[in-house]
Amino acid sequence: MTTSTDVVESTEAPVAAALRSITLRWVATALVLFPVLVLLGLVMRVAQSDLVPDLDATRFYSVMTLHGVGMVGLWYTAGMASVCFLLSRYVRVSVLANKVGFASTLIGVALLLVSTLIGKFGAGWYFLYPLPIRPLGAWESWATVTFFAAIAVLGVGWTIWSLDVLRAIASRYSLTEALGWGYLRGNVQQEVPPMVLITTVSIIGALVGLVTAVVLLVLYAVEALGGDAANDALLMKNLVFLFGHLLVNITLYLGVAVVYEVLPHYAKRPWKTNGKVALAWNVVLVLVMFAYLHHLYMDFAQLRELQLLGQVTSYLSSVPAAIMSIFGTLALVYRSHLKWSLAPALLFSGVLGWVIGGIGAVIDSTIAVNLLFHNTLWVPAHFHTYFLMGVVLMLLGGVYHICDKASTCERKAGREKLVFWLTAIGGYGFLLMFYIGGAASIPRRYATYTGNISDGQGLALASVFFIVLFLAGLVIYAIETGRRCLGAAKAS
Amino acid sequence: MTQLLALSLFLALSVVCAAAFIAVARSTAAPEDVPYEATAKLRARLFWVVLAVLLVFLGLTIPYTPYPDESAQPDRVVHVRARQFAFDFSDRPFPDDATTDPDQAPLTGIATGDLVEFRVTAMDVTHGFGVYDADGALLAQVQAMPGYVNRLRMQFDTAATYEILCMEYCGAAHHVMRAALDVEKAN
Repeated sequence: MTTSTDVVESTEAPVAAALRSITLRWVATALVLFPVLVLLGLVMRVAQSDLVPDLDATRFYSVMTLHGVGMVGLWYTAGMASVCFLLSRYVRVSVLANKVGFASTLIGVALLLVSTLIGKFGAGWYFLYPLPIRPLGAWESWATVTFFAAIAVLGVGWTIWSLDVLRAIASRYSLTEALGWGYLRGNVQQEVPPMVLITTVSIIGALVGLVTAVVLLVLYAVEALGGDAANDALLMKNLVFLFGHLLVNITLYLGVAVVYEVLPHYAKRPWKTNGKVALAWNVVLVLVMFAYLHHLYMDFAQLRELQLLGQVTSYLSSVPAAIMSIFGTLALVYRSHLKWSLAPALLFSGVLGWVIGGIGAVIDSTIAVNLLFHNTLWVPAHFHTYFLMGVVLMLLGGVYHICDKASTCERKAGREKLVFWLTAIGGYGFLLMFYIGGAASIPRRYATYTGNISDGQGLALASVFFIVLFLAGLVIYAIETGRRCLGAAKAS
Repeated sequence: MTQLLALSLFLALSVVCAAAFIAVARSTAAPEDVPYEATAKLRARLFWVVLAVLLVFLGLTIPYTPYPDESAQPDRVVHVRARQFAFDFSDRPFPDDATTDPDQAPLTGIATGDLVEFRVTAMDVTHGFGVYDADGALLAQVQAMPGYVNRLRMQFDTAATYEILCMEYCGAAHHVMRAALDVEKAN
């Protein structure tokens, strides 16, 4: 058996300058885009709190769309960029494919800005059929075309990038080997680092999601060009949630891959693939394809067997996560020689955010409960938990680690603590208002709360305070990481 | 009640998990080697505990789906058509021709205790049909999709005016898409 680099060794093994350069560009882009997108979220909560005079509803929903698509896209690409950088210890990823991903993202973002801010396109981030083509005058058809052009550009660029990562992995490991099947068969030819295993699972899932998005776009185009024949609303809904659920979950797995790779560096303990880890991630790959069904519980026309399958797969998909990755994180850190600094603190607390968001998600994936929680504020509550306080913290931790190792800037412990506590208090305070709102039956995606749901205004107002705290922490983080980026850029 | 129970369960489990994470984080103050066997044993136990808890919850909750029980006949059928940005109600099915208005006479005669079946569809985009009580609590909901009829069955315990809210984002006036539903006391 050949042995790959021991994961306890430092992760700053020789990395091509070009890869470092494009990764730093991704980091800089994320550091600019993330606070802007948080600000858009703040604008929405301010509007819902009635703190300022009415924000035009059409504008509110276009901001909501930009916030949603922007966040999902930003963190998928940040996850991919982080993973590509860290993966370069094991395989040779293409910098050109990475640049294609970067260029397509910039073009896609520009098109999204035009579509939403100028064209007022506001169908939401998962553009549920057939709203994009039936907006009842809220936006014009050119805005819809521009939005779909943005999705197409992003989809093509990300598919090329994802395929290259899979190619890079396959050039050293066979696909079955990278999926850890050697461990399952008891026939390990060469060690497969967890990062390779999780990335392989993630990329396969992402490609299924991206192909689904292509099918969706083609069906929209056929309807737009073909005249009378309308698409089947239930089919389109299944497709859009397969795509959306996969993309969001895969982003989370990319964050988990970063945790598997970086946290051992601080804990000074190895985290290696074994039969159980391989089995867990293969089970995840299967279950994640079906868990999206829980988004359609309230579509009673859907086959009842699929509804039940949705609850079963949603429940079971939490088992491998809880047993291997979450317990694994705790076991890795428990009584280790870890010296706490911002990077491991963000990685570790990101896993906690995944746990808490997962609890909220499992509760919501119970059909009997979903009857009362579907499309209430409970939905943004749980997905913001495992996104904002989960994968975002994991990736911020990973990015901080990468920049920290690439630069010689001195760390400022006081500022690091401030970042941690501001994001933790701000983040969880903001989320708690969503959870309370969900339990109080406040519907989500409402520009204003009036009549019997006016309690939502007070909760939105409290959210504003917590978002400002989070944003303050984020700004300090951006300054600290930006300093390191500049230092690293100078060094390279 | 269900909402409050779910929130309480969520908060309790979250606090327990957060406490475990904090305890583990603090344990690094006294580092020592932990035998792999002990970790593996604990993980195996945790696996069975998590699986058992999930299966119990699954077994307890999955029978309570909101999907219609075909063996029971509803006392009253109400046809609902959602459109940007209003709900139409009728005692008769809506015609396929979306431009034709059905009988728009106010819906009356829904009594407490009746098993009411709402046959919900949409004529333009996807909407949601959420039934709220007078205190602003969501009692039940179903999606309203073009080309499909979703059947939601409910029994109202209290005579009151219930509010219907759109539960699926449907466009620029989604947040004002509402209707009222009067339920009378049974004789």
